[in-house]
Amino acid sequence: MTVAAQSFSSRPIAAVARGVALPLVLLLVWQAWASTLPANTRAPSPAQVARAFETLAIGGGLVGATLQSLGRVMLGFLIALVLGVSLGVLMGSSRRVSRNLDPIVEGFRPIAPMAILPIAILWFGAGTPAALSIVAYAAFFPLLLNTIHGVSRVDRKLLQAARTMGLPLHARILRVVLPAALPSIMLGARLAMGVAWTAIIAAELAVGAKSGGGSSGGLGQMMFVFYAYSIDLNNIVVCMIVVGVVALLIDRLFRVAERRLMPWRI
Amino acid sequence: MNGAVNRPKLRLQGVTKAFVAPRTGHRTLALADVSLDIDQGEFVCIVGPSGCGKSTILNIVAGLDAPTAGIVEKDGAPIAGPGPDRGVMFQDYALYPWQTVQGNIGFGLNYGAPGKSMSQAERDARVAEFVKLVSLTGSESKYPHQLSGGMRQRVALARLLANGPDILLLDEPLGALDAQTRIILQAELLRIWGETAPREQRKTTVFITHDIEEAVFLADRVVVMSSHPGRVRDILTIDLPRPRDESIRADPRFGHFADEIWRLIRDQALQAIA
Amino acid sequence: MSATPSASAALKMDQATTDVGGGAAQTGDRARSGRGAASPGGVPGWLARIDFTPLRSFAILLLVWQGVAVWTASPIQLPTPLRVGAAFLDLAAEGEITEHALVSVTRLVVSLAIAVVLAVPLGFLMGLNRKIDAFVDPLIELLRPISGIAWIPLALFIFGIGDVLPVFIMVYVAFFALLLNTISGVRSVDPKLIAAARTMGVARPMILAKVVAPAALPAIVVGFRLAFAGAWAAIVAAELIGAPNGLGFAIEWYRELLMSPKVFAFILVIAVIGYVCDLGLRALQRRLTPWVDEAGHSS
Repeated sequence: MTVAAQSFSSRPIAAVARGVALPLVLLLVWQAWASTLPANTRAPSPAQVARAFETLAIGGGLVGATLQSLGRVMLGFLIALVLGVSLGVLMGSSRRVSRNLDPIVEGFRPIAPMAILPIAILWFGAGTPAALSIVAYAAFFPLLLNTIHGVSRVDRKLLQAARTMGLPLHARILRVVLPAALPSIMLGARLAMGVAWTAIIAAELAVGAKSGGGSSGGLGQMMFVFYAYSIDLNNIVVCMIVVGVVALLIDRLFRVAERRLMPWRI
Repeated sequence: MNGAVNRPKLRLQGVTKAFVAPRTGHRTLALADVSLDIDQGEFVCIVGPSGCGKSTILNIVAGLDAPTAGIVEKDGAPIAGPGPDRGVMFQDYALYPWQTVQGNIGFGLNYGAPGKSMSQAERDARVAEFVKLVSLTGSESKYPHQLSGGMRQRVALARLLANGPDILLLDEPLGALDAQTRIILQAELLRIWGETAPREQRKTTVFITHDIEEAVFLADRVVVMSSHPGRVRDILTIDLPRPRDESIRADPRFGHFADEIWRLIRDQALQAIA
Repeated sequence: MSATPSASAALKMDQATTDVGGGAAQTGDRARSGRGAASPGGVPGWLARIDFTPLRSFAILLLVWQGVAVWTASPIQLPTPLRVGAAFLDLAAEGEITEHALVSVTRLVVSLAIAVVLAVPLGFLMGLNRKIDAFVDPLIELLRPISGIAWIPLALFIFGIGDVLPVFIMVYVAFFALLLNTISGVRSVDPKLIAAARTMGVARPMILAKVVAPAALPAIVVGFRLAFAGAWAAIVAAELIGAPNGLGFAIEWYRELLMSPKVFAFILVIAVIGYVCDLGLRALQRRLTPWVDEAGHSS
């Protein structure tokens, strides 16, 4: 970004050393602290977390649980994508529609996905549909709001030019409005995927916590089971790390997709 | 084609355009009783101070805007909406940032009305033809942000022509360019417009500019407008010989026309900065 | 350029009326021009100026809700708005709403205060000092992807059920929003403004107070709004699982008792508090940083 940033990256080894220094020191302190505790302690330590990761990853159900959570996120995200983008195009392009629907959207927006969970459980029971609806609800708002923002800021001239070239309405939406709004929509999608991932963990955790840990499955429920039944904090930390890594991967994937899908942006 | 001899290509008669401000209900008159006939193959420049409704006239002819009162006809038929028979080149070009040079030139052909009856191969061939016409060969796959201002202008011109309109509407198409590029592209524009061809084969052109010398260099007739509300102040016939090149700027008549136009708009131009 | 600013602004609306089925971006302007034409009627000015659209929208929403509720005839899954309203009044009369809302709002305020105290100074340090940033940033980037929610099981073990857990989760959520916005705000300061202050002989602490802080303020305020939104979303999850009271707890409590009208009433409370707080924060933003728009960009 600036000159200073460049001079840092020009010495990559020093930069990497600086970068890993603090996390490494903290890990060592954590390990040292844990080794002073009696052998039967529940407190996690880096070494034990690493061991727990190995056990959980190989035949411990970690991969399955993660995939189950991810699958729900994908499906819920897709539902939100279809609803959010189509409603967003409508609200972004028509002031009349947006004036009428805006109050409702603003009314629902402060209601956290988790506040909807009790209703979802009442409607669908404590299973995948409830979790899905939470994910879709959570992902809906970033997608909707960013689509509205993108669509409402489409350059008028681009639309006028399309009309002078005789593009019918559907072609103007497909060829002008959507590509012009795509940067906003992609940003919305990335944010939506982030909150969707948080929401699924929360939903699975809560469903696990409130329905005796039985029926929901997924990474969030796995965490809760480790808390409720075995108080195995090492396993919980493993799950937390997986939550973080998946979030990071989702974010990076979307950034790559943004560059691929929009080569015209610098 | 018999009727076409005495019927103007474009006719504006008593065109008035009022805008009503959304909340206050305040009415602004952008155009007041503008009448103008433009013949087939004519190159008409409209000059005037800002606020004289130049762009409004263009939008009305393009069909993007309807007059509050008055008649707007093309070939004797009223203009009801935008159509590919009247190509528009917008200020700042309105190129699609996500389309390459080819994609922009072929935009109307591929997605709009002009290319409806063509096969994909025909469209591609037509795009290639116009890429060549505006000398952009080799830059077909570049995006607009990778092009210079002059190159973007050529893309916009190629897109305009590729759609095969019989009327060209240009809204300050050279306004965003530096002075040197402008002068080069003015001559180029006349070449592409078909200055050497007989008048029946030239495209009827309405060209908006605030540059007086540009108007004199390009036009068969210059419409000088005054502002608040926009009215036709005077119409000058520029009977300089065609084809024109740089040397014509040295012609004493060239300077005479430019002085005449400046005299017509000077008062309002001075008022605007006072 | 040839149209005057007022004309070109008006152009949008007039065009929409003349040009039915025009561009996607035009349909809306038609509605606006309709309103503009209607207002100079016989109604008093102040009445005509109030926009009743939100009321109408909510009225339609309530009617649809009532209709669906009657049609499904399943009061546990979807109670009618009337019964939810009655439940709301009951809860309000018994003081239960104030009780839980007060608990949640107190936790929220405490959390945001802690997050500000932690994140803003750190953000200034990281934004101003590249070395500190190089050391701390990787740790931040390692922790940030782990959502606050994922800390709940571990926090349950460490803090147990009570006040500390929701506060911890909210501080965690609010911290990152505030920190990242503060850093970017501090970095966005135009170096020329600092250089100008230096040439005038302004001392470094004064530059911080009079140049850097005001320039970073819009981003910090935006960060605070994001922090509030994140914390308000997280509190429900945290209280739902790990607190003996508060709005999140109340929702889940009545869900288990299958008292749906009360569940809906408490969700309504969450929405209203969240909405009102956001309105308040927007007003605060306009007061504190009148030179930027709501997203924090100078216009």
